Amino acid sequence: MAAIQLQGVEKVYRGKVHALRRVSIDVMDGEIFGLLGPNGAGKSTLVKIIMTVIHASNVSGTLLGKPIGDRKTLESIGYLPEHHRFPYYLTGKQVLDHYGALCKVGRKDRITRASSLLSRLGLSGWENKKVGTYSKGMLQRLGIAQALMNDPKLLILDEPTDGVDPVGRREIRDLLAELREEGRAVFLNSHLLSELEMVCDRVAIMVKGKVTMQGTIDSLTVDSRRYEITTLGSIPEWAIELADDVSENSFTLLGDDPSKIQPILDRLRSENIIIVSVQPVRENLEDLFMRAVDNTDAPGAIR
Amino acid sequence: MMQFKALLIDAYRQLSAAKLFWVTVGISALVVVAFGSIGFNSEGISIGFGAYQIESEQLNAGSPWARGLYIGIFSNFLVKIWLAWIATVLALISTCSIFPEFVHSGSIELTISKPIGRFKLFISKYIVSLLFVVLQVAIFCFGIFLCVGLRIGEWNPLIFSAIPIVATFFSYLFAVCVLVGILTRSGITALLITGIFWMLLWSVQTSEVVLNRFVTRFNVDIERFDEGIITTTEELTTIRAKSETDFRIPKLEKRIETYKEDSTEAQESLAKLAPWHMPVELVLAALPKNAQTIGLLNRWLSDPDGFDIGAIMNGDMRAFEGEDVKEFDPTTRGARDREANRRIQEDYESRSLWYVLGTSLLFEGFVLGLASMYFSRKDF
Ligand SMILES: Nc1ncnc2c1ncn2[C@@H]1O[C@H](COP(=O)(O)OP(=O)(O)O)[C@@H](O)[C@H]1O
Ligand SMILES: [Mg+2]
Repeated sequence: MAAIQLQGVEKVYRGKVHALRRVSIDVMDGEIFGLLGPNGAGKSTLVKIIMTVIHASNVSGTLLGKPIGDRKTLESIGYLPEHHRFPYYLTGKQVLDHYGALCKVGRKDRITRASSLLSRLGLSGWENKKVGTYSKGMLQRLGIAQALMNDPKLLILDEPTDGVDPVGRREIRDLLAELREEGRAVFLNSHLLSELEMVCDRVAIMVKGKVTMQGTIDSLTVDSRRYEITTLGSIPEWAIELADDVSENSFTLLGDDPSKIQPILDRLRSENIIIVSVQPVRENLEDLFMRAVDNTDAPGAIR
Repeated sequence: MMQFKALLIDAYRQLSAAKLFWVTVGISALVVVAFGSIGFNSEGISIGFGAYQIESEQLNAGSPWARGLYIGIFSNFLVKIWLAWIATVLALISTCSIFPEFVHSGSIELTISKPIGRFKLFISKYIVSLLFVVLQVAIFCFGIFLCVGLRIGEWNPLIFSAIPIVATFFSYLFAVCVLVGILTRSGITALLITGIFWMLLWSVQTSEVVLNRFVTRFNVDIERFDEGIITTTEELTTIRAKSETDFRIPKLEKRIETYKEDSTEAQESLAKLAPWHMPVELVLAALPKNAQTIGLLNRWLSDPDGFDIGAIMNGDMRAFEGEDVKEFDPTTRGARDREANRRIQEDYESRSLWYVLGTSLLFEGFVLGLASMYFSRKDF
């Protein structure tokens, strides 16, 4: 079963901002799915539609097998909004209790879960301090704890590592992997590309309200896989003809099958050309992302 | 239910985190203590737990007027000035930012994405916010109840009727405060607009009372002058039958003349006011009637045979004499004043609950309907 299955989501804000254009997305059970895109691409808009915070102009699809907009389904979804703000007069523990109760979690469960989540997110010792005294990173971790209070099957995180230091980010990444092990699906938005690469099973790239690519990072980068061969001295004519790309003393061959380049290496060796390095290269998420953005000009929604 | 309880606890934490809340509670307590410090003994009234003594023949322990005075202080001063004025302003100040905070971006997403319908969420939030005002009034009334019981031995549960009355009164204003609060997301703006709305209500209600007073007064005048013409004419006829040259005849003729002039004058004035009376009554009918809502308490608490401090404040000293006095001359200014006052009081006291509360609640429902509709449809 798909955790999230959306087709043709459209959103036109009042004021005529066309924020989403026929967006379709599938998030499988038990996977970490990353949604990438520049600021203003419409990532938060999509998440808010899923969480019923805003109303879509058009939407069809299911959430945990139930139609979108079903209130009851929300009981099994955890949500961390972007730039969330907790009531300043509450302590960390009270925050968890309050939002847990709004999610219809029983009192006993709330108490045990709150203390275990606080320690799991490294907030032990702060549970009775007012959230006004928390740092940005701690608030973010408290936000994730809040999203886990109802023991969700699906976790939706909007910029979960926003404002978190590198150590904290790593911890969050590890936590996400643990949550996947526990069988939860995670849907996250982030502009921190390298992080998504490390933790996501699949990604989608959204630019100006459109999803331009969707799939595993491997499948999205397969076309760009190549070998880069660097030699000492100039490259022979025959190699230049074979190559897909040539620079001063290196050339590139597209493909990811190592057996295919062996004859070329043999020939270079037989001609006594010194091979400095043979490197498998693949596009990373950032290149992929830049390519997607370049294809559609500057970031921002189409107005 | 669990969600409602969570919202209730949250509202309590939010309010109790504000200093103003505790300041209000403190002043409330002081007011109750001050009220409790008034006592009656055989010589008169003692104030400040015996610190001052006012000697009085009429107002002392056991006199029926002591009850009227004590309860009257509650229903006229403590309710009308403290609860319906100062405490309401303080309560508005401490609650005006509840809804703007609630819909603040970053916190509303957290709440609205929970498995609770928006309309239910909105109404629950509204009710829990009101509950704290109710709680404050309830504690206050309980203090007053104890004071009245201990001081004059009357354990009057009707004192608690101030709770729903003051809460209803407050809710008319709070509904407006909530609507503006979620539209503008600013507590200060909500407070200001609510203040302006309150002044508007006050001016409409005052215009209505003043117009009503004049119209009633002119009607009484016309009636009494016309009666005067009839009785004087009868008198004249009897005297004429005896003697055509009685010395009273010119005097009575002059009096009839004056009555006629006065009656015409009153009719002219009434004609001038009448076109205004109806529209103002209609406008008021559509608006919340907060003064009359508070007035209900007086209606329920005052003892018809007892001492009525409200009437005394209106200058009607007959209340002191305790019984209706037959007017010697019904056309004098004083007699006409008394009759007009009596009719006005009767008029307001006979206005139905439906008129006082029903139409006011209808207005509140309309404002809340708008607010909840906006809240349900809004893209946060
Ligand atoms: N409430 C709103 N009203 C009007 N336009 C909005 C609103 N929220 C977002 N937008 C616009 O929609 C577009 C997408 O915004 P958003 O979903 O927040 O992007 P992202 O999360 O990818 O940065 C932006 O152009 C933004 O200005
Ligand atoms: Mg965003």
